[in-house]
Amino acid sequence: MDKLASLLHTSPATAWMVAKLVIVFGGVFSLAALWTWVERRGAAMIQDRIGPNRAALFGKIKIIGLAQPLADGIKFFFKEDLVPHDANKALFWLAPFLALVPALMGFAVIPFGRSFVSGGHEYHLALLDPGNGMGLLYPLAIGGMAVYGVLVAAWSSNNKWSILGGMRSSATMVSYEIGMSLAVVTIFMTAGGYDPSEVIKAQGHLPWAWNVVRQPLGFIVFFTCMFAETNRLPFDFAEGESEIVAGFNVEYGSMKFSLLALSEYCHLMTASALIATLYFGGWQVPFVQNPSVLLSVASFLVKMLFFAWVFVWIRWTLPRFRYDQLMHLGWKAMLPMSMVNLVFHAWRMSQGH
Amino acid sequence: MGVVVKKVELSWLDRTYVWPVMKGMGITLRHFFRQLFTPTAKRYTIQYPDMKKEMPEGYRGLHELKRFEDGAIKCVACFMCQEACPARCISIEAEEFSELNITQGFEEKRPAKFSIDMLRCIYCGMCEEACPKDAIWLRKDYEVAAYDRLAMQYGKWDLMNTYAKADGKENISGDPTPSVPRRTIAM
Repeated sequence: MDKLASLLHTSPATAWMVAKLVIVFGGVFSLAALWTWVERRGAAMIQDRIGPNRAALFGKIKIIGLAQPLADGIKFFFKEDLVPHDANKALFWLAPFLALVPALMGFAVIPFGRSFVSGGHEYHLALLDPGNGMGLLYPLAIGGMAVYGVLVAAWSSNNKWSILGGMRSSATMVSYEIGMSLAVVTIFMTAGGYDPSEVIKAQGHLPWAWNVVRQPLGFIVFFTCMFAETNRLPFDFAEGESEIVAGFNVEYGSMKFSLLALSEYCHLMTASALIATLYFGGWQVPFVQNPSVLLSVASFLVKMLFFAWVFVWIRWTLPRFRYDQLMHLGWKAMLPMSMVNLVFHAWRMSQGH
Repeated sequence: MGVVVKKVELSWLDRTYVWPVMKGMGITLRHFFRQLFTPTAKRYTIQYPDMKKEMPEGYRGLHELKRFEDGAIKCVACFMCQEACPARCISIEAEEFSELNITQGFEEKRPAKFSIDMLRCIYCGMCEEACPKDAIWLRKDYEVAAYDRLAMQYGKWDLMNTYAKADGKENISGDPTPSVPRRTIAM
């Protein structure tokens, strides 16, 4: 790292930061692109079909259709970029970025591996070093921003169906954010801090000490709310083929549509990383006290990708909710459950556990 | 009379919603792994250009005009199929078969032209039913398509050669000289 830094005439800290940026955002972005393929292929397998397996590199190399995201990307890139006549042009252009940037930014505080010391420097495997004062409040805040992407996209395209989708989605996000936040507050309380590294340290390396075992109710609430937050089935109210055409992205085409779609998958990746960090011990390797850096990164990746897969899995298992059922679930089930969870753990802590 | 619909009483476990979801996820996961570990040849999906569906017995696909061992056409140009055809896609022109006359045991007619308009054909199989000589068969080839309309007008030689490759026969493009009596006519 020092050599690389001197080669680029920057300080090691800057070089390390840039390297992390490229790895994290590039990694999340390409995983999101890959997940479009995983979703289609997984859906096909669940429904006893085959799915996209024909896209081939140079028309020859057919690695089980893995070139599909690439082909989709090229296709989207070369499609005509239409802006509706009566749309608010500036916001219409801005919306995909408003959707994508928060989805990627949420990942910044999540430690994806153990910190290590090399050459007198301590390196942290998270974009923002621990002790930055924001901790896990940051992904929650940024996650709240994500609604703007959907809403601005819906509103600026000047289409009544898209705005219906956008409003439904923003209402969902607002309702579920409360239950989610209370579930996370419980974790902050038991961990004694809201820094992700503290949360991970408090969970330890033993699977039965992880928050999913300690707070199963909180996990169910948080997990459900993450589906509402990422706007995915069974809570995908931003879209709705049968009711509101395609939902908030009706008027979008070409690369702008692709960005909106990708932002959903980036959000999914961030959400699964959050679940892994908060409830499954982050980079902790089960039964290994001090794992090597690579092992911890691998452990985190496995957990994260597993939950990303669960998102896909749930999507093709459950039917959609009706809108009033969703509100019912959010306000009458999720919110009380997370409150019960909070009060129970507060009581347990007051009893000295 | 109305039907009394019995409402299903959900147990408390089912009403938690979490347990039924997990059951459902178990089902989808079972399907996922079963499909994942099934070899491509045994999956339900037939990947068309690479794999082709074996058509069942009695399938009515592309026609074939049958021929004798020596390559001569079985059709005697009786016009029965043309009459039977509801889509009127068959058109036949008959001709004298040979100098040899009927007393020597040869059939005297054969089609000079036998064409089927595949764009009009509805594959009903009436021609096959009507044929007294079993000379026209509807067989299992279903890949009847062409880039232009003219190519869909199948002539006599096209119809005789439709299944030549599948049967391992050679394509023919001319009537062989009749040498032996190939069918005696009941007098």
